[in-house]
Amino acid sequence: MTAIDPDVRIPDPIDLDRQEEERLRAAAGLGSRGEGRGEYAGFEQVGLPDRPPQTERERRLFSVGEGEMLLNMGPQHPSTHGVMRLLVKVRGEVVTDLDPVLGYLHRGIEKLCENATYTTVLTYVDPMDYMSAMHNEHAPAIAFEKLYDVEVPKRAEYIRALVVELNRVFSHALMMGFLALDMGGITPILYGFINRDETVELLSSISGQRMLFNFFRVGGVNWDISDEFISRLSTWRSNVAKTIGDNELLLTQNEIFTARTKGLGILTAKDAVNLGVTGPNLRASGVPFDVRKAHPYSIYNELEFDVVTQQAGDTYARYLQRVAEIKQSIHLIDQIVERMPHGPVQAQVPGIIRPKPGRAYAAIESPRGLYSVYAISDGGPNPYRFRMRDPSYITLQVMPKLMPGHLLADTMAIMASLDPIMGGVDK
Amino acid sequence: MEPDLLLGVGRFVLATTLLLLLTVPTAFIIIYLELKVIALMQLRIGPNRVGPAGVFQSAIHGFKVLAKEDFTPDQADRPIFTMAPWMVFMAAAMSMLVIPFAPGLVALDSEISVIYFFAIIGLSVVGLLVAGWASYNKYSLLGGLRSAAQMVSYEIPLTLSIVGVVILTSTLSFTNIIDWQHHHGWAILWQWIGLPVFFIASTAEINRTPFDMVEADSEIVAGFATEYSGMRFGFFFFAEYVSLFIMSAILVTLFFGGWLAPWPFPAQLGGFGGTIYGLFWFLLKTYFFVFVSIWARATLPRVRVDQLMGMAWKVLLPLALVNLFVTAIVVVVFKL
Amino acid sequence: MRLLLDRFPGAVSQLWTDADTVEVQVPRDQIVETLRRLRDDDEFGFFFLADAAAVDYGPENWFEVVYHLYSERHPAWLRIRVPVDRKDPRTPSVTGLWEGAMFHEREMYDMMGIVFEGNADLRRIFMSPDYRSFPQRRDFLLPDDAADSSAAGVNPLERPETWDLTRFSEALPVGRSHPGSEETAVEADKTLADKSRPR
Repeated sequence: MTAIDPDVRIPDPIDLDRQEEERLRAAAGLGSRGEGRGEYAGFEQVGLPDRPPQTERERRLFSVGEGEMLLNMGPQHPSTHGVMRLLVKVRGEVVTDLDPVLGYLHRGIEKLCENATYTTVLTYVDPMDYMSAMHNEHAPAIAFEKLYDVEVPKRAEYIRALVVELNRVFSHALMMGFLALDMGGITPILYGFINRDETVELLSSISGQRMLFNFFRVGGVNWDISDEFISRLSTWRSNVAKTIGDNELLLTQNEIFTARTKGLGILTAKDAVNLGVTGPNLRASGVPFDVRKAHPYSIYNELEFDVVTQQAGDTYARYLQRVAEIKQSIHLIDQIVERMPHGPVQAQVPGIIRPKPGRAYAAIESPRGLYSVYAISDGGPNPYRFRMRDPSYITLQVMPKLMPGHLLADTMAIMASLDPIMGGVDK
Repeated sequence: MEPDLLLGVGRFVLATTLLLLLTVPTAFIIIYLELKVIALMQLRIGPNRVGPAGVFQSAIHGFKVLAKEDFTPDQADRPIFTMAPWMVFMAAAMSMLVIPFAPGLVALDSEISVIYFFAIIGLSVVGLLVAGWASYNKYSLLGGLRSAAQMVSYEIPLTLSIVGVVILTSTLSFTNIIDWQHHHGWAILWQWIGLPVFFIASTAEINRTPFDMVEADSEIVAGFATEYSGMRFGFFFFAEYVSLFIMSAILVTLFFGGWLAPWPFPAQLGGFGGTIYGLFWFLLKTYFFVFVSIWARATLPRVRVDQLMGMAWKVLLPLALVNLFVTAIVVVVFKL
Repeated sequence: MRLLLDRFPGAVSQLWTDADTVEVQVPRDQIVETLRRLRDDDEFGFFFLADAAAVDYGPENWFEVVYHLYSERHPAWLRIRVPVDRKDPRTPSVTGLWEGAMFHEREMYDMMGIVFEGNADLRRIFMSPDYRSFPQRRDFLLPDDAADSSAAGVNPLERPETWDLTRFSEALPVGRSHPGSEETAVEADKTLADKSRPR
């Protein structure tokens, strides 16, 4: 690696874009960028220069040594799980450094929610982690119920737990497929989608939509479930073991699959906690942290389930962890259906909710980990501040730790095993 | 000119033209098969709109690539960029010359057709390499280099695995190899180590799953073909499926008796009838191995580059060598 | 909860609690030391940083950085609020304690403009590196049209002058001294409505 000269700015693509822009402007007879336009006072307030100086990390990333090459994987790439850009530094095929570049899907949902009423916030958060829309609604619903101090009917809590576990099953089933797809196996993803299609059909029969369900309400759920739903659920219950089993048959004992995933991208328990990894990725490293057990919400303290963990912490363990959690979720669904009480599904809440000023924090276990909402009310109809902590966003931090030293082909396998969803990462 | 020479040249021109034309339906059939078979394995329906049961789907694919814009990147090395798909396709088409389809139905019945075949099929790596280099794209470059590494290492077990058959039959002509098998039974009876080595190595040689690192779409977009579009990409696409057919055909020829039926060839079926009968068996066996390859694609994930290389040098090469020595010793000892 | 008051007599204030959360305020110069003790002391055992977020209490008030901690020993979430001066939005980084705070702090810097001292890699994460504003501050304009905000100019396609190429020769609707000031914004809005909106 060449010595780093702190004064030399290595041009990065954004600078090139700027040159191009200046050229276009000059051709059009316009002044240079920003000329005459008032500047927002943000940087002056904190006394920062126009662009913050390159950090040490950036400098290291952009200094390309002998035989190395910077490779932009994404934002348009067949397997970046949405629009993420991975800036990969490779030496031959070996990854030497890596930095995730985010923001291609950033919609400012937190800001949007600050300008929405409490009821509409629940629709805004749906498209965040689009693989688990039910979980996205669950945490804000709990937080707003804390703020507004409303008791959720028991039946509504059971229905919530039911749909959330159904959502977890198909999210994990798809993860198995995506992991295989990123390693070139094209069939498991289709089997995963068979399971997903059955499940979303089931969920759409109670919520009306297939992907972004918009099923939760502050103080309950939108619709009650019917007997027909229960009978369809039992059909689903008899099919699910087969669809998941097919995938397991294709992958778990597959010689090539195990050869590629065992020992790949080992995340130690210490690192995982330190980096804020949660959910199945953390449990695959051997830390039995599950918000459902650690900090029970909804009705999870009444149900019986295990927090499964794996010890290895590699890609294969993360895969096995998903399979084991699907089984736990199905076990939970059985219990919920068995104990489903009767009663109303929606507490009495007004159309426009104006909670007392206060703060509330609600965390749930989404298929990707700890998904939490911190909401502040100032007494008005909109949340004053609405903060979401998306697990896949934090999980992405481990990629520069796991991937260097592995081959280019493995970056995709490791990333798929971490199972980030870009809609949630970019908020 | 002498009439004999003229006849020979005329026959050669006719044969090459026919074979060149044959590549198109071959590729179409295999593409359709792949679409449909994988769809059935994945519990999908597959193509069902164009023609009965979607049989014209691959023809439509062909027209699609013809109609697309033929795009060349700004900084690409234009002549080489244009030539590369042509090289790959011609390597596949030319190697078809020596395939014995049926009794009397072989374009070039040479004494050294085995050597010719492996010389020509190795040319395609040059096409892939220069395609990767000329595209001026990092993904293409990675793909091109992967193809070079992969093919160089798999040429060796591939070639060694057939030396066993050559020693056994003591001939380098595909038709003579089939003749030998006609008298002694199929070569698979002796070459049961050579067959898996050949099958794996040939799968790697033509970049089929699970060895399709060269165009691994989840890692390096489309490898050497990233910057290709339109008919240039079509040539790569066709060449891939044609070489799948060729490799299956050679496998059948070397190990499964080519056009021979599983039971003794009826002697009274000579001439035209015998040709049709042979062609039927040949195509049946060939398409069976095409099916096996498609089956593997639907089932298996891709192996990694280092695992692929490790397997070539650590497993396949020793196996091929063992096979070679054992065959040679047996031939010498038993005076076969 | 009482434990907190006993152990940190000087540091914590404003104790407040609800059903499953304990909330305290800590001044920003003591935050790293407090968090370190909370994490490392066996009697606390808050090993897991669940969330770190920034709150803007308006242009006249202050920022606040909020940490949520989890411990196996105590049943409640621990919320630690750290007020940060809006005129000088600097606070020590906790990346030394939890490396995972890196993305949290980068996001807070990107969205609110809070500078974390000691963070080795503090750069923008969602917005492009040459973006010049902090979108989640309360005084950030939230217009119907991105062209009226200081966000204009990030992407050539977002700039109104590029929408209609025939207008390239005309003068730009410039001259706003500060996008936040009311009258210039209205004036600019009119100009934009006249000239540059795609019809």
